[in-house]
Amino acid sequence: MKRLGRALAVAALIATTLTFLGNAAGRFDQKLSLDKQIVHVLNRLTFGPRPGDAAEVRRLGIEKWIDLQLHPDRITENPALEAKLKPLESLKLGTWQIMEKYSAVQPATLITTLRAPVSPIALLPPLQTSKLMNGGTVEERRAVIASLDPDMRRQLLATAPPQVLQGLDDLQQEAAKVRQAEQEARQKELRRLMPPLNELLTPDQTRIARTGAKEEKLALINSFDAQKRQQILRAIGPQAFLDIPELRREAMAANQPQQLVNTELIENKLYRAIYSNRQLEEVLVDFWMNHFNVFNGKGQTRVLLTSYERDAIRPNVFGHFRDLLLATARHPAMLLYLDNNQSQAPRDDLPAPPTGPDGRPLRRPGLNENYGRELMELHTLGVNGGYTQQDVIDVARAFTGWTIYDPARYGEFQFNPANHDRKEKVVLGHALPASRGEQDGLDVIDILARHPSTAKFISKKLAQRFVADDPPQALVDRMTHTFTKTDGDIRAVLQTMFTSVEFSSEGAWQAKLKSPLEMVVSAVRALNADVGDVFVLAQRIADLGQPLYGKVEPTGYPNTGEAWANTAGLLGRINFAAALTAGQVPGVKPDISRFNFKPPAAVAGELLSMAPPRGMLASIENGIEAKEATPSMLASLVLSSPEFQRR
Amino acid sequence: MLTRRYFLRTSAIAVAGMGSAPSWLLRAAARVEAKRKILIAIFQRGAADGLNIVVPFFEKRYYDVRPSIAVAPPGKPNGAIDLDGRFGLHPSLQQLKPLWDSGQLAIVEATGSPDPNRSHFEAQDQMESGTPGKTTEDGWLNRALTPATPATSPVRAIAMGAKMPRTLRGNRNAVAVSDLQQFQVRNQDAAGILERMYAATADSQLKAQGKGAFEALKMIESINRTPYTPANGAQYAGEFGTGLRQVARLIKANVGVEAAFAEIGGWDHHSNEPGQLPPLLQQFGSSLAAFAGDMGDQMQDIVLVTMSEFGRTAAEDGNNGTDHGHGNVMFVIGGPVRGGKVFGRWPGLEPD
Repeated sequence: MKRLGRALAVAALIATTLTFLGNAAGRFDQKLSLDKQIVHVLNRLTFGPRPGDAAEVRRLGIEKWIDLQLHPDRITENPALEAKLKPLESLKLGTWQIMEKYSAVQPATLITTLRAPVSPIALLPPLQTSKLMNGGTVEERRAVIASLDPDMRRQLLATAPPQVLQGLDDLQQEAAKVRQAEQEARQKELRRLMPPLNELLTPDQTRIARTGAKEEKLALINSFDAQKRQQILRAIGPQAFLDIPELRREAMAANQPQQLVNTELIENKLYRAIYSNRQLEEVLVDFWMNHFNVFNGKGQTRVLLTSYERDAIRPNVFGHFRDLLLATARHPAMLLYLDNNQSQAPRDDLPAPPTGPDGRPLRRPGLNENYGRELMELHTLGVNGGYTQQDVIDVARAFTGWTIYDPARYGEFQFNPANHDRKEKVVLGHALPASRGEQDGLDVIDILARHPSTAKFISKKLAQRFVADDPPQALVDRMTHTFTKTDGDIRAVLQTMFTSVEFSSEGAWQAKLKSPLEMVVSAVRALNADVGDVFVLAQRIADLGQPLYGKVEPTGYPNTGEAWANTAGLLGRINFAAALTAGQVPGVKPDISRFNFKPPAAVAGELLSMAPPRGMLASIENGIEAKEATPSMLASLVLSSPEFQRR
Repeated sequence: MLTRRYFLRTSAIAVAGMGSAPSWLLRAAARVEAKRKILIAIFQRGAADGLNIVVPFFEKRYYDVRPSIAVAPPGKPNGAIDLDGRFGLHPSLQQLKPLWDSGQLAIVEATGSPDPNRSHFEAQDQMESGTPGKTTEDGWLNRALTPATPATSPVRAIAMGAKMPRTLRGNRNAVAVSDLQQFQVRNQDAAGILERMYAATADSQLKAQGKGAFEALKMIESINRTPYTPANGAQYAGEFGTGLRQVARLIKANVGVEAAFAEIGGWDHHSNEPGQLPPLLQQFGSSLAAFAGDMGDQMQDIVLVTMSEFGRTAAEDGNNGTDHGHGNVMFVIGGPVRGGKVFGRWPGLEPD
């Protein structure tokens, strides 16, 4: 046992040494062979090569192909993609339309509608209100309550804050009874509107609906009238219909309409990543959405993200950085996510906060630094970009008044002068004179977009995405120069990068670990799978640690490899590859038959778009010796390989 | 070079390879491994109402601001369980009382993040990163781990759940396991081929990950092979209990666990708190008690600490619930704990 231990320890030592050597070899000046270059540009500018892509790049020439990707309007879009996107109705709607259409009855809203929207105390004459709320004697309060009609009395007791009933034991007991009765009434109403499944279906029908064959499910659901159909779908929920996208969507619309909006946005993203011919555009939309991250779980953001991606990010991914920055700064999704919608001029000139109708002091609104800080730390200058806490405060002051008009029903940007801080500010040495309203924020956008730290920070982040986790400084410097010279023209910065020696070098080859999104989509593309529904695919990506639009922190998902290299993640990828190639991911049909009767080298070659590395091939060939290796097993081994985890 | 921990790890692999666990080895391992200290972090997501969990029944103001949802003082029907004449446990936490009596449970009152944020996600983020007011990529428990050596166990840090929680994210290797039985490569033939493929790759980063993954896999496989019965009749409750049961199982298998994380959600009681809190506390308390019972003497080397992102308003709201507030209560459970005492400075109660 001891000897085994020592042998392993030595092996581990050797491995450590190798790690060190491996990282030390930069080789950013050594040019890739043409074959490797073709696979390399596909790996970096797309979500992974499909069969035939490498031949297409070879036919066009690498330079020409890159230039086309940089000008997506010159590329004809894939008609298959357009067909996939067609049913996603919310993608075509404005925010107010989404809010109107996807806010159907939900248990939570239903409960509030059963109770009067205004506290009954506020409806009483002021003198009576005052007696109840502000310490009237026991007798005075009893008299006020006794004077109410029964309906009003019931409502008041149900909602009265503690001080109203203090010392009135009998009324407190009555209040408890009223609340109890209300609760029961609510539950009864809920049950009437949303009957549980066992009141809607027989046990046999329930079994069919949950686990029956596709045709059985459809026949059963189609046999009910519209109202009952909706009740049934709501009660069962979307998970039962993963094999029938139309019903899955309908169940979601009945069950959680706002969730459907977010799901359609996720579907949109995945269909585009898998099928679009304008791959670089999709890669960049993903990059900038992540750079300007907004989390779909904070308040109403999930219905705002559709417009955020479509109207703020997508039109600007090849444009000037300043326009992209401004579009995010003004978008309600960002305003809400980083709390700028609540930020107001600090009112230190006012007396202590007044008391609200419930007797508690109102919280005094004030400055919120959240957006100001992240704008500089994460969106523009970088954490060491040369700003101070005072800059954070003054930037936040400059953006006071940038808020959302009617966030529940309309959800558009509004500048509200009443909330704006009119005094002078100083941002990174630039004085912003007093009383200029919205112009303050616009000036800050210009100052930050044109700051040298921003040029460096954005150039480095792009180089990290497209070249290597630790990109050569000389390349970043040249990109920074282009950024500054062109006033932040993103397309020009990308051109500088793609035409550089470093980009097509051995140092950049396979230097990037795929994120879960990249791994899953590239596997689907390599298999040339026919994707009829991406709902489960999105769940798998989330299981691997990257819920789409679900990054809580404003940092976005990591741009470098360490974060994705973890043991559980690796097992997850291996199991995903096995399920995918075996056709066990609902909605995704892989094209495995083309591997029939082909040797491992051919299967690996097709999936990697290049001749497989010898070590990998040897492991597969030795491993399957004397075993019956099915084409799907071979494919799953290739997709699980270290090589396929990189791009 | 050859540390005892290292010896143990390789022997655990050897055990897995042989397909059976020689009991003498496990007993020997247990004696050595008992020296290892283990920290377990429990997160109550949703902002648990600390004031109804450990009740400050001596505070008249507590009853003033919570006329309908306060827990009655000890001695009254459904009253709190008296701890020290000032504070009492919610009656649904009856099963934690023996831990208090034996000095294994300490309570820290009026504690929480210094940041006044009341957003769940931001406050959880700050609690888990351990750096309120700053953006930090890794979590506090990951940072607390020592740098890995060749002797470090592949399952040194375990999170119960499908996702790696923020608390355990970072540079040190940690494994997220939702179900030990599911932690496997489904195709056994493929597993062997891939293990050799990863061992042979020139890609140093993935080679290391592959090594960690396949070693963790074997350890967990060998653990899975032996059916598990909790000791001392411990009864774990609910999903949270299932997670703790797996933590106990891993620790008892002596595979080098140093840190573990489990979570329990559903504490955001804006309405009907008296209806919602007791069943949740029942699951919470009985599972914690079951864990301590199951671990038995090994609790000497274990400290378990509970937390939630922030507390709730002292005053009840209009729906028999409470809104987002500040400050909360933490439980610290374990053999080395100086328990049977409420720690922390009690600042009194403000309505919000």
